[in-house]
Amino acid sequence: MTLLNNMAEITSKKFMGLKNYLYKHYGEEPGKMLVHTGVLSWTLSAAAQVMAVAFNDKISKKEKLFLIPQECADAAINILSFYLVTNAFTNFGVKLVKMGKLTTPKIDKYLKDNKIADIGKITTDISKNMEGEVLDEFKSLKSGISMITNTIGSIASCNILTPILRNEYAARKQKEILSKNNLSNKPNEIPINPNSKPLNMEAYQKLAYSKFSNSGMKV
Amino acid sequence: MSLAGITSYIKNSYLYRVAKSGSNKVQQAFYDCIPNTSIGSEKWQKRIKWVGSEISSPENRLILGVTALMSQPFIDGHNKNVDAETRRVSVCRTIAKIIAGTSTGVLIRYGCIGAINKWSKLPSSVDKLGQKVKLNKLNTFFSPGNAGHDLSEAVKQYRKTLGTILSLFVMSITNFVIDAPLTRYLTNKFIDKSGGVKHDTSK
Repeated sequence: MTLLNNMAEITSKKFMGLKNYLYKHYGEEPGKMLVHTGVLSWTLSAAAQVMAVAFNDKISKKEKLFLIPQECADAAINILSFYLVTNAFTNFGVKLVKMGKLTTPKIDKYLKDNKIADIGKITTDISKNMEGEVLDEFKSLKSGISMITNTIGSIASCNILTPILRNEYAARKQKEILSKNNLSNKPNEIPINPNSKPLNMEAYQKLAYSKFSNSGMKV
Repeated sequence: MSLAGITSYIKNSYLYRVAKSGSNKVQQAFYDCIPNTSIGSEKWQKRIKWVGSEISSPENRLILGVTALMSQPFIDGHNKNVDAETRRVSVCRTIAKIIAGTSTGVLIRYGCIGAINKWSKLPSSVDKLGQKVKLNKLNTFFSPGNAGHDLSEAVKQYRKTLGTILSLFVMSITNFVIDAPLTRYLTNKFIDKSGGVKHDTSK
């Protein structure tokens, strides 16, 4: 028990730097935290997909050489579209509050009383010299707005943009795989014309379960 | 040349300064189009404050799941790159995936944030009865060294952040153990409900 306690203490101290970093960087910006953990989430999910293909005995080496880069490309689409869109939305909301474009009457009064210049300029940070109640109000407004804009950005990227991009990409890649597979088809198998549009059920099923799951499975 | 030297060299280069200045001008023009707004209504101020303080990754995941149910089946149902039968199966699979992913995602996030709350006590922490919590190695395992008061907004957000990160690692495992079989099970149920398919997809 003493050994366990000591180990817990050592581990806890080892990670003190990380814990302090998280506290300092995400303590007041929940929107930023959601963007970064969202990227981590997509990355872990993509890593799981790649591992599932890499360690699947039912998939031949030749197919793996094709499927693994495909999974990586798919992951890049997911991660990039999530990061670019969600981050842009979150930053937009935070910037509106920081530059004084979006305020509350209490913040307005502070800006007027302190004759803050350059309101509405992208380099302005109205909270620079704030303190006390008005700073608390500013922080609450910034957290709330960053959370709202983050959620709108996540919906736009995860639920609209990414599925459209993925469907387009998946259809193109599936046809490429089928085209490659057709070259090695046995004579009695039903040939699938890779150029025929749209993709049929037989072709879909042939591929849909060759992988662990489809690549949209965000954790 | 060190990394800082390279960064400094790039930032001082003519090309970077021109690009930065151009980008700032575009951004400024964009923000100039947005009128200055003051949120006068106290009701809305409270709502925004509540969102910033209370909404975190589990609620965000739930919102994403619910909105995904409203948009993704529609997108898959109108995917012209596949035939009608495939679209139907694809819609069933998408709905199953969203239900499985959202339910496990939300529950695991809540669980991990709850665990971090229990294991990141501070000297100012009190229990439900208002008594000071006796600190030990376990309940301070995740406590940051630079934290302020236990009830501060920053400490609350820190716990949610660490809980979310922990949940992501947990979900890397449950993604295989729970999500994948549950998705497969629900997909087959939905396919059966929608009239079945010519070929068995449960393999």
